[in-house]
Amino acid sequence: MMTQKTDIYQLKNGMILLGERLEHVLSASFQFLLPAGASLLPEGCCGAGTVIADWLFRGAGPRSSRELIQALDRLGIHRNASPSIHHLSLSASLEAGNLSEALDLCADMILRPRLAADQFELSRQLAVSELQGLDDDPRQKAMILLYENFYPDPLGRPAVGKLDDLKGLPFERTADIARKIFNPSDVIFSICGNYDFEAVKDQLEKTFDRPPHGGLSAQPPVMKEKSYRHFPTGGAQVHIGIMTPAPLAASDAYYEMAAAVSILSGSMSSRLFTEVREKRGLCYAVGANYKTLKAHAGIACYAGTTPDKAQQTLDVILDQFRILKNGISDDEIQRAKVGLKTSLIMQSESTYARSSGIAADHFLLGRIRTLDEIREKIESLSVDSMQECLRRHPFEDFTVVTLGPKTVTL
Amino acid sequence: MNFEHRQLDNGLTIIGEVNPNAQSTAVGFFVRTGARDETPEINGVSHFLEHMLFKGTETLSALEVNNAFDRLGAKFNAFTSEENTVFYAAVLPEYLMDVSSLWMQLMRPSLRNDDFTIEKNVILEEIAMYKDLPQFEVMDQARALHFGSHPCSYSVLGTNESISSLTADQMREYFARRYAPNNITLACCGNFDFDNLCRLSDQRCSGWKAMETVRNVEDTSGTFKSQHVANENLVRQHICLLSPAVSMQDPRRYAASLLGEIIGDDSGSRYYWALTEPALAEVASMQCESMDGTGVFYSYICCDPDNTSRVLGVVQELFEELRNNGISEAELEAARNKTLSALTIKCEQPMGRLVSLGFNWVYNHQYRSVKEDVDVVHAVTLDKISNLIETLNPGKFTMLSLGPKTI
Repeated sequence: MMTQKTDIYQLKNGMILLGERLEHVLSASFQFLLPAGASLLPEGCCGAGTVIADWLFRGAGPRSSRELIQALDRLGIHRNASPSIHHLSLSASLEAGNLSEALDLCADMILRPRLAADQFELSRQLAVSELQGLDDDPRQKAMILLYENFYPDPLGRPAVGKLDDLKGLPFERTADIARKIFNPSDVIFSICGNYDFEAVKDQLEKTFDRPPHGGLSAQPPVMKEKSYRHFPTGGAQVHIGIMTPAPLAASDAYYEMAAAVSILSGSMSSRLFTEVREKRGLCYAVGANYKTLKAHAGIACYAGTTPDKAQQTLDVILDQFRILKNGISDDEIQRAKVGLKTSLIMQSESTYARSSGIAADHFLLGRIRTLDEIREKIESLSVDSMQECLRRHPFEDFTVVTLGPKTVTL
Repeated sequence: MNFEHRQLDNGLTIIGEVNPNAQSTAVGFFVRTGARDETPEINGVSHFLEHMLFKGTETLSALEVNNAFDRLGAKFNAFTSEENTVFYAAVLPEYLMDVSSLWMQLMRPSLRNDDFTIEKNVILEEIAMYKDLPQFEVMDQARALHFGSHPCSYSVLGTNESISSLTADQMREYFARRYAPNNITLACCGNFDFDNLCRLSDQRCSGWKAMETVRNVEDTSGTFKSQHVANENLVRQHICLLSPAVSMQDPRRYAASLLGEIIGDDSGSRYYWALTEPALAEVASMQCESMDGTGVFYSYICCDPDNTSRVLGVVQELFEELRNNGISEAELEAARNKTLSALTIKCEQPMGRLVSLGFNWVYNHQYRSVKEDVDVVHAVTLDKISNLIETLNPGKFTMLSLGPKTI
C-alpha cells in the first residue's frame, strides 16, 4: 500500500480543507460540500437544490452564463453540481495545472452567482422536465420513492424535487436560498491528486474570506414506520425497492455490516446474485447497498423482474436478508474481506473517489480514516464478530416499494 | 510505461502496458465478435454467450467460478457490443496470474444445457428491463432503422423471439466459429510481469485451434429514414439521430470525436446552447462512434413531447449554421481540453487504460501510448474539422423518436 499523506486545515472563517496528495497522477479532483442539501430546504421548496445547481452555472462574478461555461470549458474541467440529502455538492476533475484558475471560477459561482430572473425560469423548467423524465426511468424512480418512504421526514425528501413545489417555486425565495449556501463553518472542501496544499490553502483563505452567517436550518426529523407502497404503472417489469435499518457509519458495527452487505450482494458469488439470478433466473438486475446518512442508515436493495416473477423475487430476497444471522461461512468472510480491501486500494488510485471519500469521512465521522486503519478493521473481521453484529442488528423490518403493473404481498 | 507484444502459434495475441507505479492490474480478453457477426435467426447469441462463459467449464461449476473470482477480490465483468465481446478483471498485482488463469479456463466453457435454460430467463429479463428504459430502447430501434439491411442493425440483446427460440447447439456452433484464438486479443495493463503472463498463456491457451473467421466490414451511409413510434406508457419524447461518421481505421476519427464533443457535449456545446440552456430539452448529446469499417454520429435528445417539432427544427437550423459557418478556434480548443482532461483522469487507474489499449490493437494492430493520443488530439485543426463537416454532412440523418403519442 502506498504511503498516504492527508492535509487538514481550517480557514479563519471555519471552512474545512481536506487533501490527499497523489504524486504520480497528472490530474486533481476537488469538491465543495455546501450545507444546502434537500433536507435543509424550507417547506414548499422541494427541488430548489436542483434548480440552484443549474442556476449557479448561468453567470457568476464578472462572467455571463456563456462566458462562465466557456471559461470552464477552456480549462477542460469536468464538473458537476448536484444536491443530496445533506449537501449541495460542486465537484470538478481536471488536469492539475489548471487547478488555481478552476478554484477561482468556483469561488465566483459559490459566492457571486448572478442569479438572474430570466435564467432562474430556465433552470426551473429544466428541473421540472428532469422530474417528469423520471417516469421513463422506473428503476431510479422506485429507489427515490423507497428512500422517501424509509427515511424520517425531511431526510427522505427527493433531491430531484416534487412537482407541485417545483411548478410554484418562487424566484425570490430560491435566490434567498442560493445566497445562503455558503455558510463557511458548515462547508467542507476536499481535494485529491497532484496539488500543492500550501498554495490551495492560501488561495482559498483569500477567495473565500467571508464571515459565517445563520445558513439554512435543519428541521427535527419525523420517524416513519415500516410500510409497503405500490405505485401502479404500465411497463414490462415490476421494480422492487426494499430497505431495512442498519448501524451508522460511526458505529462499532460498521465494518461488520459492510461485510454483511458484501456477502449479500458484493459480487457474483454473493447470496442475492446466486439465489435470485443464478439458481432461479428471476432477475437480470438485483443488488443491495449500504446507505449511511449522518444520523440514519439502512441497506437498500433493488430488483427488477417481469410481473409473474415479482412475488417470488421479493420472497427470495427477504428470506436471504432474514437468514443471514443463522450462519456465515469462513470462506464467505474471506471473500468479503479481500473484496473490501481491493475496492479500498482501487479507490485510492482514483482522485475523484478519494476526494469524495475523505469529505464523506469528515462529515459522517468528524475525521478522516487512513487507508491503513480501514485495512486493519477489515482484517480483523471474523465469523464471531459478524454473528455478534447480526444478532444485535438482525434484518427484521422492511420498507418495500413496488412500481409496475402488479402488486406483491409481504 | 513499457509496451510488450507477443503472438502464440495459434494466433492468440498478447499485449501489455507495464506500469510499475500502479497499485492494481487489469486484464481482459477481447473477442472480435458481436451482434453484427450474427444472423437474424441467432440474433442475441453473442451477448447470451458472454453470460454463459461465467457458467463454467468441464471442471468448474458456475458457483465455483464466482467464488474463485471473489476469493481474488477481482472487480470483474464482461460486455458485448455490436462488434466486440470483452471479458475483464481488475485485481491487486499479486492476484494477476490467478485471475488470468481463471479467464483462460473460462474461454473454453462447457455450455451445459441446464445452465443455458436458466440463463435464457435472465436474458429475457434483461430484454424486459431495457424495454422499460426508453433512452436505450430508442437507440436500438434507431440503429435498426439507420443500418437497414447492414449487419450493424442487429440488436445486441436480440429479441424475445430470437432468444426464446435459440438452441444450445446453435450457440455451440457460433462459439466454435468465433472464439478462435486468432480472433482474440489478451490485453493487460498495470503492475505485472509480461513474460510470466506469456508463459501462462502458452500453457493454458496454445491448445486452442485457429479457425478462419470472417466479418462483413463494408461501410454504409445509412437509410436516412424518419419515424415516430408511439408508446402510451412513456411521458417524455426520446429522439435519436444517426448519421455517417468515420471508422476505427480512419485517422480522421480523432477529429470526428472532437466534432461530436463540439456539437453534443453535455455542457457548453452547440446542443447545449440551442436546446438545454434554453430549457427546450433536458438532455441533448452527440458523440461519434467509430466501428469496424464504418461509423456513426449518435445524438440523443429527451424533451417534452409537445416540443418535438420545435426541437427538430432547432436541430436542423443548428446543422445548417454549422455547414455554412463552421466552428470557431475557441470551440475547438475547449473540446480538445475537455478530451485531454478526460484522458488524464481515465489513466489514473489501469482499468481505465485497458479498453483503449485493447481496442487500439483489435482494430488497428497498433499500440498507442497516452502521449501519442494527446499529440494527435493537439494536432486536430479547424481545417480538418471543416473537411469533416463538408464530407460527412452530419445534418443529414436517420431519425427515430419514441414518445407517448403519434406525431
